[in-house]
Amino acid sequence: MVENLVLGIGVTALAGALATVAGAAEDTESDIGSQGDPNSQVQLAPQMGYIHRIYNKAISGEPPAYGLWCALGAGIAWAFMAINLNAILALIVGAAVAVFVQGVYATTAYLGRTASLAKFEQPVYIDILKSVTTVTMAHAFVAIFTTISMCYLMVAALGHPFPLPLLGLVWGIALGAAGSATGNPFYGKERQYQEQKFGAGVPISASGNIVRYAEAGERSSLDNGWFTSKLGGPASGLCFGLIVFFELWRTVLFEPFAGGWGAVIAGVVVILIFMVIDRFVETWARTTFGPYTEVAAAEPEEAAS
Amino acid sequence: MSVKVEVSEGGVPHDRIMAIGIVGSLVAIYLTYLNVLTGTQIFSFFGGIGAVFAIWWGTDSIKTLCSYGIGTGVPSAGMISLGSGVIAMLLATKLGVAAPIGLVIIAAVLGVILGFLSDKVLNMNIPVMIRQLTELTIVGALILLGFASMATGSFAFIDMITGTTTFFGIEIATYTYSLIGGSVIAVIFMLGGIAIQHPFNACLGPNESQDRTQMCAAECGFLSMIAVAVMSFAFLSVSAAILGLLVAFIGWIYTYNEYIKLSKRDAYDWLDAKPIREPKGGA
Repeated sequence: MVENLVLGIGVTALAGALATVAGAAEDTESDIGSQGDPNSQVQLAPQMGYIHRIYNKAISGEPPAYGLWCALGAGIAWAFMAINLNAILALIVGAAVAVFVQGVYATTAYLGRTASLAKFEQPVYIDILKSVTTVTMAHAFVAIFTTISMCYLMVAALGHPFPLPLLGLVWGIALGAAGSATGNPFYGKERQYQEQKFGAGVPISASGNIVRYAEAGERSSLDNGWFTSKLGGPASGLCFGLIVFFELWRTVLFEPFAGGWGAVIAGVVVILIFMVIDRFVETWARTTFGPYTEVAAAEPEEAAS
Repeated sequence: MSVKVEVSEGGVPHDRIMAIGIVGSLVAIYLTYLNVLTGTQIFSFFGGIGAVFAIWWGTDSIKTLCSYGIGTGVPSAGMISLGSGVIAMLLATKLGVAAPIGLVIIAAVLGVILGFLSDKVLNMNIPVMIRQLTELTIVGALILLGFASMATGSFAFIDMITGTTTFFGIEIATYTYSLIGGSVIAVIFMLGGIAIQHPFNACLGPNESQDRTQMCAAECGFLSMIAVAVMSFAFLSVSAAILGLLVAFIGWIYTYNEYIKLSKRDAYDWLDAKPIREPKGGA
């Protein structure tokens, strides 16, 4: 019993660690490729007269896209395990095929979107296609491999009743949602709109006026990877890692209580605790940094008079 | 996405694309029945060809539906297509030889109901809603049946819930290692759902052209077929799976090359390692 529990906690910790890496890689990947909500501004920029050299990877939203990559990786790994291939090798082959599909989708999205903007004189830059696609593929490989390895741990070590491809789909969607919700606002508002005043939002007149020139030369999507890997990526990783860790932790520890309902109650308690923490962080951030409070609005007037 | 969706004018009419799509898809899926007649598995790849036809048709349906200003709804249209299609497909697989034809009828009925609910009850008021949701339900069901019959070599329900596994050298029948028991159908669901919405989502913009979007659709179809061919190693003989992989690869390489050529034709300019050229009108 105790040995089982210790193994369960160990697997939970390992799965949480894998998920953290997955979340960080996923957000970095999507920011390099401009997928998700910041994509709309990249798409809009040429229409407003701002020709740019930023990647435009429009493959639906991140949750369905990562649902496919991870389900595909897990499905191929499952198929190779079904014909008795070594599990680690099967997971690598699965992630590799999924990354191939991801890379092809990325190129067709960039070519399609850019060619359809010919009216606004936005050219297709082939060097972007060559240099950025491979970098997103590398990050996607890390994200997919860690996610499907985590799913395999759930099946093999924790005895999860779902088959591997279904777990890949579910956790892939969760991974895309975590990266999209946590990391993208950071890239979209703070990286693309550095020319706007901090906290000013994006007024209609500034739509499409994204940062196109770098400190030296022209901004490439690869710079977004460097920027994201500092804060947005790790934040997404922490988010997804915590989701996976708490999900497994509550099941491993509390499932024996009240005929399985112990785990459900523990889940509700965890959500309530996080709601309180979130509320506290939000109000603290608004009072500390927000420019729209009455006190902050009154200060410039005093200075002027 | 705050993108204004504009649809290219002219080109092949939607009705003709629908006719080619439904006939091509049904004929190809029926060709997998040669497996039963000849007692082999090598005709399984026809299922994938059927799914490619369905994806090619579905792309134009999504384009017709989403020209009514449903920008962010493009990926959702792919999901509802496959989501409603899976119900029709599972029901139809119980019909034996009549499965593909029965699938079209069941999916059409289901699509009309869903279209009516979203158009009249939810008051979306989009003129083509009922027709396009009906088409998309049939498309989704055909994609699932096509890829499922490619992976298992048959469009019968019993073959999708039973598989074999080797246990100490003895082959035993099992539900766990089957298309549905192993949830490979979930992977096919996502492969189809993304492939059907991606071409229009990727090519939308003022200079969208029909032949490029449709070529992208065929490319996405063959790409999904490659993935299904790799997974079919779990269900089919090695020679049948390799043949499927080969057919998918050849189709993908051809369509991908053509797509790049068409993108080159439509692009404003095709530059390699050149700086930003500010537009003549000025930023």
